[in-house]
Amino acid sequence: MTTNDDSNLQVVERDLRALAEPRSGDDLIRLAVREQLAAKLCPRPRRRLSLRIVFRSATVAAAAAALAVVALVATNGTGGTSSADAAIIHHVLREVSPPAHKILHVEVVGMQNGMTVVGETWEQTSPPYAFRGLKGAVGQQGEFAVNGTTSFSYDPRTNTIYASPSSSPPTFADPLLQVRQELARGQAQDVGTAMIGGTPLYKINLPHGLVGYFDESNYLPRYLDDPQSDGTVLRLRVAAYEYLPMTRANRALLSIAAQHPGARLDTSRSAGVATK
Amino acid sequence: MVMDVTALAHPTPRMSPVDPDAELVAAARARPGEFLALYDRYFTRVLGYVRVRIRNPTICEDLTSQVFVTALEQLARFRGEGSFAGWLFQIARNAVRDSLRVRPGEELAERPALGPTPEELLLEGEQTEELRRLIRQLRPEQQHLLALRYGAELPYEEIGAMLGAAPATVRVRMHRILEELRRRYPHDNE
Repeated sequence: MTTNDDSNLQVVERDLRALAEPRSGDDLIRLAVREQLAAKLCPRPRRRLSLRIVFRSATVAAAAAALAVVALVATNGTGGTSSADAAIIHHVLREVSPPAHKILHVEVVGMQNGMTVVGETWEQTSPPYAFRGLKGAVGQQGEFAVNGTTSFSYDPRTNTIYASPSSSPPTFADPLLQVRQELARGQAQDVGTAMIGGTPLYKINLPHGLVGYFDESNYLPRYLDDPQSDGTVLRLRVAAYEYLPMTRANRALLSIAAQHPGARLDTSRSAGVATK
Repeated sequence: MVMDVTALAHPTPRMSPVDPDAELVAAARARPGEFLALYDRYFTRVLGYVRVRIRNPTICEDLTSQVFVTALEQLARFRGEGSFAGWLFQIARNAVRDSLRVRPGEELAERPALGPTPEELLLEGEQTEELRRLIRQLRPEQQHLLALRYGAELPYEEIGAMLGAAPATVRVRMHRILEELRRRYPHDNE
């Protein structure tokens, strides 16, 4: 084997490892799955919801919206997007591209298994990209946060905040990067206007099933249809999508401790919900 | 699915004496809440394993969750003949297989869904796409091996223990797989 072969093998190994590299949202996934397991270990009388519900949707609703827009932009070169469509795209893209030094607040609501589920997130749009999120059925929501170096979860049953070091620094879902990527792909389809709840919305079909609906008056995301693995479609209403100024009061929205000032802080465990 | 608490209380695990997880498994059998320690130990590895084999980030997350839920529910059935890690990654392997069976070609899916981060999108460049294509052409057991090594980052010794093969044998197998990939993989340094 030549030196060049060795070098190429190293490239293959490097790229294989890159497939599995930790990503910015991993801590939140870890906490969410952990809570799911904890709930199984200590079941509540009321029915629990699956991990899939809302949590992911909430944390990345903005990203999804941006993806929708970006993908539509990309149709310009392949599907003949009209100038009117391009204008829509421009406006929507502007609305879903978070400005720096703000807090992006997103709330999504959906129905799953006959229950209303809600996901709500607040995330800094600049470093350190502090984040707080709630997910789950009303009254049963799990709560998580990351401040840049530490991950937190809150257990309302014991009024305890569990803290653990973050495994990777958080990053914001930079829409510009998504723009670049999606421009290169471009498979979205603008399918005109859809009526939901009596309101006309721009409807954008995305590759492999996701559909985004955007307000015709201000271009903000209003609904997302997310196909589930069982063949059903989860419709999420985007109840809030706004950029909040970095005021002291709004900063408190990023902090679990600020939201639960009387809670006990437990750093003795890695994280998670107590399992009695 | 409701956990079978009585099943978890089953005693007499026959752990392999060399299993580094033996104590945690025994603790989890005695006190199910201790399962979370096993979860903490393996979450990143399982997620990495799945990511090597499945592209769609949403499905990766779901499968990772599914693996641990299954492990929790089935822990009483783990007899300890092999390592806990081997058992866990067999669950992961089955989960991936079942997922691909239900959604053939899903590992290629570009469905943005509600999940891909910029890093994920960045990773899925053309070269990565080609690498995934090549991986899919490998035999399932080869894909499993690659994912154990480069996704879960398990040492050869541990993989060997899982597969019932000597570490040197695993190393040779892995080298062949890498060689196969190298021959067909475009390199930017050539």
